[in-house]
Amino acid sequence: MSNESTQYKEILLKGIWHENPVAYQVLGICSALAVTVKMSTAIVMSLALTLVTGFSSMIISSMRNKIPSNIRIIAELAVIASMVIVTDEILKAFFYDISKQLSIFVGLIITNCIVLGRAEAFALANNPMDSFVDGIANGLGYSLVLIAVAFIRELLGAGEFLGYSVIPNVIYNAGYQNMGLMLLAPGAFFIIGLLVWLKNSLSGSNK
Amino acid sequence: MSDNNFDKNSKKNVIQFSLMLSVICSLLITGAASGLKHLQQENIKLDKKANILKAANLIDGNNKPPKDEILRIYQTHIKEGLVNQEGQPVEIENDDVLHLYYYHTNNHIDGYILPIHTKGLWGKIQGYLAFENDGQTVSGFSVFSHAETPGLGGEIENAWFRKNFKGKKILNSQNKFVSVGIAKGKVKNLPKNLQDHYVDGISGATLTGQYLSEGIKSTLTKYEAVSIAFRQKRLKAMDK
Repeated sequence: MSNESTQYKEILLKGIWHENPVAYQVLGICSALAVTVKMSTAIVMSLALTLVTGFSSMIISSMRNKIPSNIRIIAELAVIASMVIVTDEILKAFFYDISKQLSIFVGLIITNCIVLGRAEAFALANNPMDSFVDGIANGLGYSLVLIAVAFIRELLGAGEFLGYSVIPNVIYNAGYQNMGLMLLAPGAFFIIGLLVWLKNSLSGSNK
Repeated sequence: MSDNNFDKNSKKNVIQFSLMLSVICSLLITGAASGLKHLQQENIKLDKKANILKAANLIDGNNKPPKDEILRIYQTHIKEGLVNQEGQPVEIENDDVLHLYYYHTNNHIDGYILPIHTKGLWGKIQGYLAFENDGQTVSGFSVFSHAETPGLGGEIENAWFRKNFKGKKILNSQNKFVSVGIAKGKVKNLPKNLQDHYVDGISGATLTGQYLSEGIKSTLTKYEAVSIAFRQKRLKAMDK
């Protein structure tokens, strides 16, 4: 039993930190740019992606002995796409305002390399429970980067935290201006680059 | 299943597997879509009402009130109307008829709200533009849906952009119809005689601003007869 839990702990640590999908595997960058303008969008996107990766990895893993090799990728995409579409429909029905905020980005989870990447790299060769944990772990790793980037972009680009203005007017009146670049994609690129650098120097010689 | 001879790559399995997967996925998706459709449409209808109220400044844009309150305020203050091309109220709906909304307090019409439906940069922009009952002063603007770039064109849905519309005039000092548009850059850099007819542009989103300006202009031109009627004070009170 303790073997299992150390195993899960290993999988979790790998996904969240050591082999972080964005910082180490360099996956899922596109949406990391697009949804990180505001923290609230980033948080919901992270949640959606984490759950989709976890469950799709679990489902694909449970079918791994039956999926024919030549239609492997299509089969994985079918599972992932169906799951994302159903998630989108559920959001539109029960969490309408959030779904409006996310608009097209929920659908874009299908194209997020992390989901397909974990299916290919892990789910096909491991059992469903391990795959589920791995999916959640990678989702959490992605969330970590996303929320960090969004925090910085929202703070520097709009002077806000979760939609609330946090920079006192005193500082604005003294001449400080919001860094417009942070609201644009290049700003996101810079932040992600810096975070990858930071992450790799912190865990550098370990792997 | 634990058949020793099970070959996942056999032609038989490929076909069987694909069929099963397709059927299950289709059922799931169609099930979710049709099962939830009613709820989704209710949400859309409620959101449209909330946006109409937002344009008329009857609710605060930043804190959306609960469903019951939105419905109550809508019921009390908004009346849907149909007019023909000449601005005359009509009863029967057909293709030539224009939709609009009157907002009223106790049978006194305070203003009217026009639906804006225009092409944007990446998709359609839908919103509502509200006017005071003088037929020329904008009292509010709200965006119901759009597909513009978040952080750039997407700023049209934010309060800072929308509140600039309040007080703008669609008639110039010579009483000529000029509509209201989105400037490239800040309004304060425009000549004084134009400042009442433009709002600040969104930096990095010139095209969205252009499309929205064109869309507003063509919509207002269509509804000009209604505005004229208000200007001539013909629609101050509702006939019951």
